[in-house]
Amino acid sequence: MHTFRLRVCLLAIIVVLALSACDMRASTSEVPEARISHEDNANSASTVLPIGKTDPAPNPVRLIIPAIAINATIEWVGKKSNGDLATPAQNPWEDVGWYNLGPPPGERGSAVIDGHLDRPGGYPAVFWRLRDLHVGDEVRVTNTTGKTLRFRVTRIALYPPQKAPIQDIFGNGGGTYLNLITCAGDWIPSQHQTTLRLVVYTSLAKV
Amino acid sequence: MKMKRTLAFQASRLFLGLGFIGIIALAALFGSQRYSASAQSPSYVRVVHASPFVGTADVFVDGAKLLSSFAFGTVTGYVAVPAGPHKVQIALVGKGIGAAVISETLAVSPGVVYTVAATGADPSSLSLQVFIDNNLLSPGTAKIRVYQLSPDEGSVSVDTGGNTLLSGIGYQSASNYLSISAGTYTLGMDSSTNSASLHVSAALKANTVTSVFAVGLVHGSPNIQLVTAQVQGLPGVPNTGSDPNALPQDDNVQPLSSWTWLVGFMSLLLIGSGIFMRRLVAKR
Repeated sequence: MHTFRLRVCLLAIIVVLALSACDMRASTSEVPEARISHEDNANSASTVLPIGKTDPAPNPVRLIIPAIAINATIEWVGKKSNGDLATPAQNPWEDVGWYNLGPPPGERGSAVIDGHLDRPGGYPAVFWRLRDLHVGDEVRVTNTTGKTLRFRVTRIALYPPQKAPIQDIFGNGGGTYLNLITCAGDWIPSQHQTTLRLVVYTSLAKV
Repeated sequence: MKMKRTLAFQASRLFLGLGFIGIIALAALFGSQRYSASAQSPSYVRVVHASPFVGTADVFVDGAKLLSSFAFGTVTGYVAVPAGPHKVQIALVGKGIGAAVISETLAVSPGVVYTVAATGADPSSLSLQVFIDNNLLSPGTAKIRVYQLSPDEGSVSVDTGGNTLLSGIGYQSASNYLSISAGTYTLGMDSSTNSASLHVSAALKANTVTSVFAVGLVHGSPNIQLVTAQVQGLPGVPNTGSDPNALPQDDNVQPLSSWTWLVGFMSLLLIGSGIFMRRLVAKR
């Protein structure tokens, strides 16, 4: 009888200790989202000065996606030397990058914002949960005037990078679009990139 | 004693239940991260009126009017069309689709960008010429491409400041793309059949792709001219992934993978504990 009690007590202690450890790990895993806070914190976040254009009036500064708890500063990015869309440089893992050679969100055409999927080591970055979006989800962009534009997800697609429909992503002038892009698929060490790109297409919501 | 056994049995049930819930939750998490298929991308098409025979026209696609009063020498912007076969018909303005002088079915592929040119100087040679475009562009540069759509101009070459940029461009064909430093250029076009050179001043802005279309007739009306159209050069898709095997750059960050491993471990531990307790109860 004594042995039975001892065993049950030991088991209980092990379970409690393990559960505590799990709780601690779960808490620290939320650190990357410190800058990806919920919608309530949207107006309190600081703004990183954008790089690139001299007249910032209509341009975006903050991306908010309530469905996946993204509230990120928007940096302005151009192209890399190889012609690819550049990624945020000031805070690569927490910020997102608006392609400032294209239209800003809210102007006719395809505005594009990119963000990292993960960090070195596979840890989550700002667009880790972009894959969890669904058609109809809301995407908000606040611009330098403080105005918030609302977009709705219309389509989600995966492409190998060499087969991505560039015109569709960057050059559709048939409406007012905001397209979000990040990596997906498996890591290819020899190419130093993933096998796929995830593109979330959104369209300006009618007020 | 019986009460203790009942308690232990219920505890084992609880552990087993929690363990299985953890496993199911992990399965659902990973299942939700996979996409089964991508939506098909549209194609993008722009249209050039380069037929000296056809005057101002209406353009119909799949029976619906796409362009009204489409004048000779006009280049449209790119418009999205669903991938697949499309019937394109061109009729003199106001005459209706029944009077179409060009009627062709074009198959367009998803995600591909096309220039479609209406060409031909007489009824027997009217046709649609299809070119695949590439508007990808390196930063800070400009790109140029020449489309030779003049029926009696022959093969042409294009130069600027005495330097030949492009040559050997035959009728109804397009040159390769030429990357060129941004700036304003006077482009000259020389022909194998026409002694007179054509000139056009073009501001090749950085990050733009400029198309130069030779349209019209050397000997006839409408007279030959160079028409330019400029679009924004586009970037390639970004590389937003990171090496999962690299060392972390931020010590404060804990990996999600560790968290998921722990959930898995805890689930298995709970299941094991449940089984162990059941055996213990059974022994007593």
